[in-house]
Amino acid sequence: MHSLFKMMTLAAAATVVLSAPASAQDTPVKGGTMVMTINQTPRHLNPAVQSGTATGVPGAQLFAAPLRYDEDWTPQPYLAESWEVAEDGLSVTLNLVEGAVFHDGKPITSEDVAFSVKTIQENHPFKTMFAPVTAVETPDAQTAILQLSQPHPALMLAMSSQLMPIIPKHVYGDGQDPKTHPQNAENVVGSGPFKLVEFTRDEHVILERFDDFFMEGRPYLDKLVMRIIKDPSARAIGLENGEIHMGTFEAVARDIKRLQAVDSLTATPEGYAAIGPIDWLAFNTATGNTADVNVRQAIAYAIDRNFIIKAIHQGLAEEAATGIHPGSPLYETNVDNYELDLDKANQILDDAGYARGDGDMRFGLTIDFGWPELKPNAEYVKAALKKIGIDVTVRSSPDFPTWANRISNYEFDMTWDTVFNWGDPVIGVHRTYQSTNIKPGVIWSNTQSYQNERVDELLEMAGIETDPSKRAELYSEFQKITAAELPVYWTNTLPYHTVYNNKVGNPPLGIWASSSPMDLMYLKP
Amino acid sequence: MSGNTNIDQARHPAADAVAMFFKNKPAIVALFVLVLIIIAGLIGPLLYPIDPFDMVWAPFGLPGEDGFILGTDYLGRDLFAGILHGTRVSLQVGLTAALMTVLIGVTVGALAGYFLGWVEEVLMRITEFFQVLPTLLFSMVIVALFGASLPMITFAIGLVSWPAVARITRAEFLRIRELEYVTASRAAGAKNLKLIFKVILPNALPPIIVQAALMVGSAILFEAGLSFLGLTDPNIVSWGQIIGSNRPYILDASYTVTFPGLAIFITVLCLSLVGDGLNDALNPKLRQR
Repeated sequence: MHSLFKMMTLAAAATVVLSAPASAQDTPVKGGTMVMTINQTPRHLNPAVQSGTATGVPGAQLFAAPLRYDEDWTPQPYLAESWEVAEDGLSVTLNLVEGAVFHDGKPITSEDVAFSVKTIQENHPFKTMFAPVTAVETPDAQTAILQLSQPHPALMLAMSSQLMPIIPKHVYGDGQDPKTHPQNAENVVGSGPFKLVEFTRDEHVILERFDDFFMEGRPYLDKLVMRIIKDPSARAIGLENGEIHMGTFEAVARDIKRLQAVDSLTATPEGYAAIGPIDWLAFNTATGNTADVNVRQAIAYAIDRNFIIKAIHQGLAEEAATGIHPGSPLYETNVDNYELDLDKANQILDDAGYARGDGDMRFGLTIDFGWPELKPNAEYVKAALKKIGIDVTVRSSPDFPTWANRISNYEFDMTWDTVFNWGDPVIGVHRTYQSTNIKPGVIWSNTQSYQNERVDELLEMAGIETDPSKRAELYSEFQKITAAELPVYWTNTLPYHTVYNNKVGNPPLGIWASSSPMDLMYLKP
Repeated sequence: MSGNTNIDQARHPAADAVAMFFKNKPAIVALFVLVLIIIAGLIGPLLYPIDPFDMVWAPFGLPGEDGFILGTDYLGRDLFAGILHGTRVSLQVGLTAALMTVLIGVTVGALAGYFLGWVEEVLMRITEFFQVLPTLLFSMVIVALFGASLPMITFAIGLVSWPAVARITRAEFLRIRELEYVTASRAAGAKNLKLIFKVILPNALPPIIVQAALMVGSAILFEAGLSFLGLTDPNIVSWGQIIGSNRPYILDASYTVTFPGLAIFITVLCLSLVGDGLNDALNPKLRQR
């Protein structure tokens, strides 16, 4: 198991050059215009105040974070050329690269780091990321010291990718609300390898090389065009005929399969370990029949993960048995696994006193789904649960807000959902299981109304535990308890793929996929 | 009686119409097919009791594989069972929506055409209001707002389709109300209600009946269109719903949308041919054709 803490303390590995995944004989070529896609129109381009990869993919090019990660979960220097974590874990010192400038030519200083942390703390929906940061000290222009109220192992990941963009204080600190700042979408003054040329809603984000980028000689590309194409088949056709060089966050199995067969393209699931997308069936654990753990377990025994993986995702997805993504070093495999077993499922329901009545049915449940891609899953559950005498009614929602309202106000029995881990469990996992996070009206909080004192305790301890093996133990116990009590039944990872033309060198295959700087990417002649 | 025997036997106009209809070969064939389809919808699910929501075979089983004559869909559900069960739902939606269309349309058209004046002004402005709304978009809004249940879908289709019937009814009323037998009835003391329903309406019915027959077909198409866009009750199988949910797989398994598509095509074509036949049969001026 990788140790996050060791990575943290290994911090001084300041001069490590990012190892390129491509083989050695490929020397990067400079110049060229690359065309990639983003799958939704971003609300704007400032990831400091907006979560989600639609903003994050262009955002990670426009803004640099203090750190970046390689594909082995090892932090690498980026805007911070070195960093130190205090012995007691209560402060982290960042030493910024000398001579780094924003896109408007003004220097990037520790003041900007302090301002960025404050802006994120106040405006970003992921409150846990920087919650323990009490102050950012700026002894000199190149040094920023983050003071913590308690040890916070998740901080290292939170200081990378789209999660901690360093934004200029002299632009976004002008007193306007950062969430609606006019320069979030145009005239963006960033710190990253590319600067903004044009952002047209539903059309494209066009970026060009920032010549004074703090990493010498990078980025390699002259221009990076991100076309906004919502329809997966349209993206697939563009990739097939060479119009588009790369698509990321592709999840539709039949399109991926088709593209895998194209000679000029490579389709790979690598690179999404920290994004950590998991498909799951969430239960309402507060009201109705799903409040009974026996019912939830019986349902789990009646649902065949294999069928979902093989039939719906055509073999591209991976089994996910807990709330932590299988790609994470903290994933625990030794948990209750619920292999398909209809007899057992029926037995559990019989023993719990749910007798079969009208039409051989025991009781009825509703099932919702968060987006159209999950409709087959809902239909599958309807058919699968009929076999154990549960009459399932599929409820469709005309749009996303309708579904989000229903679920976050607890007006549901079961729902399919896809939720991201976001690297460290503190950022993306805790929110689903902590009883303190039962917040009516907030989607992707603990909408299951799950309450378990031990789980609360474990998560709280794991959030501040700096010893990696102790931390892993805490998360292991957490995964075992939740797998036994099943506030949600996890089925599979969402098979995100990066599909790229073989002309593309160094595609983003680290743990953050394209939500990370693509300064190393180039086009082969 | 002796002597002159070549007096034409007076015949009931309906008998004339039936005779006329049966001279129209395409219409007879279409009617026959339609009857078959209706029978299939009524008793088919009893004869072929596989639940269309059950996963009975591997996904994307080809037609004919393991006895599933139309193959299976993306979850391995029997497509033939789906189409058979969908028959009832699709016909039900078509008939109910057409009935609703006729009820609203005839009421509005009859009142407007009979009373004229401000009644006509108001009713025809309302009709025009519904007529200028893009029907598909309007019905999508209704379904999206009030939920995609089958009654709501049927209601939405009926609500957007009645203006045509209203206009036809009004035109007929405008024509017939000036005819002498209406004046005669009025002179004999007939009240408004009697004039509308007993005197004028029966004579205005032929074009309305034709329109209603065509309306059933267009309602089925409408439901298919809404389902194709995902506005459908996922717990009920209809032809449009099968097409809608299999649409993403059209490149890999085209038969999953072809067969329900054919079912819609054949049914709507038959309804249309029968409608044409009725039109010919009920329109006396065409009888010499």
